[in-house]
Amino acid sequence: MSAWIWGVGTSNFGRQTDRLPAELAWEALVEALADAEVDGVDAAYVGTVFGSLGVAQRALSGVGLSGIPIVTVENACASGSTAVHEAGVAIASGRYERVVALGVEHLTSLFKGPIASDPTDLEQATGLLFPGIYAMSASRYLHEHDVTIEDLAEVAVKNSRHGALNPRAQRRQALTREEVLGSKMIAEPLTLFQCAGLSDAAAAVVLGPRRRSRRDVHLRASALRSGGPWDHASEHVWGFDVVRDTAQDAYAAAGIAPGDADVLEVHDAFTIGEVVTLEALGLVEEGGAPAAVAAGELSLGGTTPVNPSGGLLSRGHPLGATGVAQVAELAWQLRGDAGDRQVEGARIGVLETMGGGTAGLDGNACVVAVLEAG
Amino acid sequence: MAVAPPTLKRTDPRPVVVDGADGPLLVGIRCTLCGHPSATSPPRCARCGGETAEARFGPDGTVWATTTIHVASGVREAPYTLAYVDLDDGPRLLAHVQDGPGLGLRVAERARLTGETAGGDPHVKVIR
Repeated sequence: MSAWIWGVGTSNFGRQTDRLPAELAWEALVEALADAEVDGVDAAYVGTVFGSLGVAQRALSGVGLSGIPIVTVENACASGSTAVHEAGVAIASGRYERVVALGVEHLTSLFKGPIASDPTDLEQATGLLFPGIYAMSASRYLHEHDVTIEDLAEVAVKNSRHGALNPRAQRRQALTREEVLGSKMIAEPLTLFQCAGLSDAAAAVVLGPRRRSRRDVHLRASALRSGGPWDHASEHVWGFDVVRDTAQDAYAAAGIAPGDADVLEVHDAFTIGEVVTLEALGLVEEGGAPAAVAAGELSLGGTTPVNPSGGLLSRGHPLGATGVAQVAELAWQLRGDAGDRQVEGARIGVLETMGGGTAGLDGNACVVAVLEAG
Repeated sequence: MAVAPPTLKRTDPRPVVVDGADGPLLVGIRCTLCGHPSATSPPRCARCGGETAEARFGPDGTVWATTTIHVASGVREAPYTLAYVDLDDGPRLLAHVQDGPGLGLRVAERARLTGETAGGDPHVKVIR
């Protein structure tokens, strides 16, 4: 028994200071329930990182979903994909017959500048901030490989071209390398356009067992891990090992090889994040991601498009909603519903989300999932 | 030689730095089973789960990575420079770089623990 994606929905992504978190969730839920052609579910899993007390219940009750088991998940940037993973396991195990996974986040009401982790965390207390975590990876990566800051910027250029084709994206302007490198410096070597901006949004996915519908998308496998220790004894930059190991779990469960993916949605909260992730996923060799980006292999029209939605950099990164939005994008791609950013003939989609921020760990959580057209 | 116990900063997760005979030292732990060192002081080793004992590290090490943060964060004014420094035979330490931006700190350079900033952050300076 396995799980199928019956319907997906999202709000728009961006700075939506005049919208309540629950209102954004209602948009996503109404669309997903209609897309799935159901009016109720048996349980809900809700991913949110900074969501306030009861945001899941406020959101779900507004579309008639109350009195059911509701589980709220905090797994940093992988909160939404953890909710989808747990919903899929609940369906596959026969625990429930219809489940909704919701992700919701409203960052502009909480932050003015870069997101910081918990003040009792060593690295945050020392002033590293999230951009700093990734900047450290970039510093090391540039030292170890024959790669330049211009090469890193090309990831943002690629994803901005994709985001310009996504009507729901936060940043809808195609950027040049000069614009990316010339934007405000945040944490050297990462400039503003190499960092996902503050975003408010929600996304929802309805899952259930197999139906007689070619529109339903097969959740062929998903895997969840938390990171092991990350310190001076670690061989790779932060987050590499947990993504690699989670991907291997998912590939094995799905019976695919990395090269079988036709389209990917991966965690590009920062340009270096996409680079390290693509290598950890086994899509390219270590040190090879920037060359693959430069060659156009990972762009729409290339051999294996990565982040056709615009990714976290351009679609936006409302933390808890991100993983669910990745599932929505892949569902649209695998059904052929992705409009101007459609990857022609896509049959297998892979998503990866990595959440971190706890000092000394190689990430708080990572989810890798394999989706297949129905 | 008797050593004074480190001052516990119970609400502050940052590592403790004390004065040693040859300069400031980081107070952390070393696993009694596998020998793995840590800049924090948990009761069990993150690598093998073994019991830990207090240990002191530094002051010298090698820069693993570095960044300069250009956005203000709470109590700190930007820009400021941070480095992960792998202390010799010790743990990786996240530290502020003395004299801050413009220093041109590079990966793989040698650095030395020089104490704590007025705000309580461990700080290092490059050795050239």
